[in-house]
Amino acid sequence: MTGFRVLKSGILALVQDTGRLGYQHLGVTRGGPLDARSAYWANRLLDNEANAAVLEITAGGLEMEAQTQTMVALAGGDLNLTVNGEPQVPWRSFWVRQGDRLKFGTPRYGFRAYLAVSGGFTTQPILGSRATVMRDRLGGVHGQGRPLQDDDYLPCKHLSEEGISRQIPQNYLPQLGKQIILHLLPGYQQHEFSKEAWKQVFQQEFTLSNDSNRMGARLTGEPIAVPEREFLSEGISYGAVQVPANGQPIIMLDDRQTLGGYPKLGNILPLDGFQLAQCAPGAKIRFKPIHLAEAQQQMRRYLRFFGL
Amino acid sequence: MSSESSPLTDRPELTFAAAGVDALLMQFGQTMDPCLPGFLAQLRQRILSELADVVHEVVPAYSSLLVYYEPRAVRTFDLEQALEQLSQDVPWLCSPWSTDADTPGQLVKVPVCYDPRCAPDLESVMALTKLSAEDIIALHSDKDYQVYALGFAPGFAYLGALDEQLQVPRMKNPRTHVPAGAVGIAGQQTAVYPLESPGGWHLIGASPFVWFRADREPMTPVQVGDRIRFYAIDYATYEDLLAENEKARSGAQQ
Repeated sequence: MTGFRVLKSGILALVQDTGRLGYQHLGVTRGGPLDARSAYWANRLLDNEANAAVLEITAGGLEMEAQTQTMVALAGGDLNLTVNGEPQVPWRSFWVRQGDRLKFGTPRYGFRAYLAVSGGFTTQPILGSRATVMRDRLGGVHGQGRPLQDDDYLPCKHLSEEGISRQIPQNYLPQLGKQIILHLLPGYQQHEFSKEAWKQVFQQEFTLSNDSNRMGARLTGEPIAVPEREFLSEGISYGAVQVPANGQPIIMLDDRQTLGGYPKLGNILPLDGFQLAQCAPGAKIRFKPIHLAEAQQQMRRYLRFFGL
Repeated sequence: MSSESSPLTDRPELTFAAAGVDALLMQFGQTMDPCLPGFLAQLRQRILSELADVVHEVVPAYSSLLVYYEPRAVRTFDLEQALEQLSQDVPWLCSPWSTDADTPGQLVKVPVCYDPRCAPDLESVMALTKLSAEDIIALHSDKDYQVYALGFAPGFAYLGALDEQLQVPRMKNPRTHVPAGAVGIAGQQTAVYPLESPGGWHLIGASPFVWFRADREPMTPVQVGDRIRFYAIDYATYEDLLAENEKARSGAQQ
């Protein structure tokens, strides 16, 4: 078997592909990379399939040793990766030899790095996916939803010849900042929120909370007035902005639970969710309304670009 | 949350809400109605088979279906019309408790150990309800529960409705660790936790029943629209059944 040995697991490193499709009616979460666009970029640099499994490295600290030779590609946040002590910039592919040490430091910009290997990581798929969903105990190196741990072995194929190193042109790179705008597509219980509540949503600046995780990005701000009646639990789609009784919104992300009953304002544009995934806690966030047609058009452009 | 009412005689009105760029929420009122799960299960199947080229996933809940679609293959307005038509085509058979072959749901029997060793909150529930342990067990197990939804965790079944005498509020201080298999009650709901997780329900028993296995077909032994009846087992039987599960699991891994 060829692959990478995990020397230090760091803060949180997860095997991810596009996720488990078609099982949400059984309560099975989809999973997938929080910044899907960066994951697609990493795979594209290697001519991998869009669904090839990559590593999502949150906030750094991961150290691995190559026990094979292959091309790898790095996209997303810059977590100060060094290879045998030499710095490597993201948004490019490069050759890795047997014995090379890859070490992620702390974030320089962004919050999550995506590391792809030629052909993808070949861990055991469960329900058609290699995505690690910790809360469901599914996927990952041992199949039970665990994040990478020290001494884990990440299998991938061996390349006999070095490929061409590629780099993504500067003008394609997403803007990563400490202040972002999330376009909000009103939906769900939008009419149950008062005019005042909607004003509170669009006029204030929110802060990304420390309690955020792959299930949801928690925001703090001036509490939003929530509808008084209660609602039955319903299916939660990606980017749903739910507002529990404390008035602090939670944006539901890839590891969200399948059902929930808090009132929801609508959903954010997934493209903005990718930017959100690159924000460290403390980032400043504003909402701006968007229409369905405009949102769908932006998504079409993005999907077409990656040939999805 | 609205309470479970007497069964609706007419189908509730359908409304649509956007749920992002590629999902639509079909909402059938806001009532926890025993007629809805069977109806929604049938409608879900119809949507998946007849709109297969534009819909890839449909998630049922108490009174709604969340429909994930491909916005590049259909206009949202056209999809709403197609969904509206299908919802009219599915008959409203308001007889979920009948044992007719026509009824979509099956009755699944689930063993529960109500022994004090399995039921850390039995005493507090006795105090809250002023019922004896025997009464609590009888009220909990002597009833068919409708499976309203699967969600929260793989195989977690939302069941209703609990006998009124057994209804207690959620715990003020939720547990950070509820063991897998714990049988909880809260409000008019009851459920078994399939995995260890945090939780705020009162635990009155433990069940060796396996709610989800990725290597089994079907992966969940109960579906939305099925009914569940709990039956009491003693502690020794509970332990035996747990041991059998363990054997089956390690066998499947080899």
